[in-house]
Amino acid sequence: MHHLLRRDGIMGRDQIRSALIKIFREKFQIVEPGVDENLRDAYEFDSIDAVELLHEIEIILGTKLTQAEKKSAMDIRTINQIIDYIEALSSARRLAKPSDFEENLSTVEQ
Amino acid sequence: MMARRVVITGCSAITPIGRTRQEIVRHLLEGVSGVKKLRSDGLLTDHIHSGVYGTVDYPIEYDFKRSHSKTMGPVSYYACQVAKEALEDSGLDQEFITSGRLGVAFGSTHGSPSAQRSIYKTFFTETNHRLASVGAVDYLKSMVHTTAVNITKMFGITGRVISSSTACTTSSQSIGFGYETVKFGMQDAMLCGGADEYDTTTVAVFDNLLACSTEFNETPHLTPRPFDVKRDGLVVGEGAGALLLEEYEHAKNRGARILGEVIGFSCNNNGGDLILPNIDGITKTLTLALETAAIDASEVDFISAHATATKMGDVIEAQAIGSIYGQGPVVAGLKSYVGHTMGACGVIEAIITLYMMKERFIPPTLNLEQVDERCAMIRHNTRIMEKPIRTAAVQNFAFGGVNTCFILKKIDG
Repeated sequence: MHHLLRRDGIMGRDQIRSALIKIFREKFQIVEPGVDENLRDAYEFDSIDAVELLHEIEIILGTKLTQAEKKSAMDIRTINQIIDYIEALSSARRLAKPSDFEENLSTVEQ
Repeated sequence: MMARRVVITGCSAITPIGRTRQEIVRHLLEGVSGVKKLRSDGLLTDHIHSGVYGTVDYPIEYDFKRSHSKTMGPVSYYACQVAKEALEDSGLDQEFITSGRLGVAFGSTHGSPSAQRSIYKTFFTETNHRLASVGAVDYLKSMVHTTAVNITKMFGITGRVISSSTACTTSSQSIGFGYETVKFGMQDAMLCGGADEYDTTTVAVFDNLLACSTEFNETPHLTPRPFDVKRDGLVVGEGAGALLLEEYEHAKNRGARILGEVIGFSCNNNGGDLILPNIDGITKTLTLALETAAIDASEVDFISAHATATKMGDVIEAQAIGSIYGQGPVVAGLKSYVGHTMGACGVIEAIITLYMMKERFIPPTLNLEQVDERCAMIRHNTRIMEKPIRTAAVQNFAFGGVNTCFILKKIDG
């Protein structure tokens, strides 16, 4: 389980990037993609891959993503944009429902 | 209606007795069986009485790009590998392959059962249930036409797609429907075949119906035993095969090496029971195949029988063959070497028959020691026979009452 959440619910960009690099290597056989590389152009990373990645992000966050959140990810092309996306999701959950967030956190930590 | 000649210009197989023509022929000549002990799958094997399986137990090196392999379950790996090799064997160029003049007729029994298990496992295990999700590619791996469309994707094939999924007649229908597609001018070539991966679900199904071999679990090479008095059922197997069918003039004009010709095909249904073999339906299929080929029964030198080694299936098939051919052509049950490779059996048996045509021999039905007297009306073979085959019939019958037969002819030169 890729657990990246600190007790305060804040995730560092470096931590997220490291986790993503690991996911790309293990799940997609893409080794060390550049953070601003267009993943579709460079690695044929398509919408099917994106859906697989969203599931990995759900595991990182310890929470389900909504359909709207998933659809908003479909234009993402680079690792940096994915990090931005995860940061935004993380913050939104922390601000919206801190108690639920703590619950998610404990689940992920098991 | 335009009727054109259809020839075979490429082939490839993955079988429990090997990959290459040389290896497969050697194993046929040496009487080597590809049936091994059933491997545990951690799920069904403890509940299955049959402990044998036609096994591909050698490594296969795949060289597929991630963008291609990500939508493949094991069955599509098999399918794409034999498709790749059949295309290479044919010598067709990339321009033709992507022109729309080449189609694909390819199928499997289930899609990928291991991918289907993955889907069920997602929802029927308690671990991490809150975040459970079907993978984005799980359907693409498990859908019934997964082999056909992974092939089209890998090679950029834009012609017709036919994806039969009729259990034991899957790849026979691929060949037959592909043959008709080229014969009647809808495509100039068809890449045809079938595949099935290692799968205990199929074993469990036949085992439950008391159709699987269970008496030879400690001596797997002694089963299946088509037409033998001690036969006790079929042995499920895995494998794949592909044939490149091509319009004769097109093949001749480009100087292609021609491995054989498909001259007839029939397919019908028993119109009744979905399981029991039916002598009227089978006899009709065999007769229709000869009619479509416009040949007499006396012209057939060899019959590759479906011969699964079930109690009644072999008797009915022998009676049907006997009523049409008498003691004329030599009959062999090739499943005795590889088991019943299900969706791949028709094409694998066709490829083995092509190899026999080339090498001018007929292997015995393995494990046929004492012919069941109820199957004795046909010309069995219990030893290696040096014999040229000019014309051969390959017959397969499936659950659902589906019957097929296609006729292959050797072309000199």
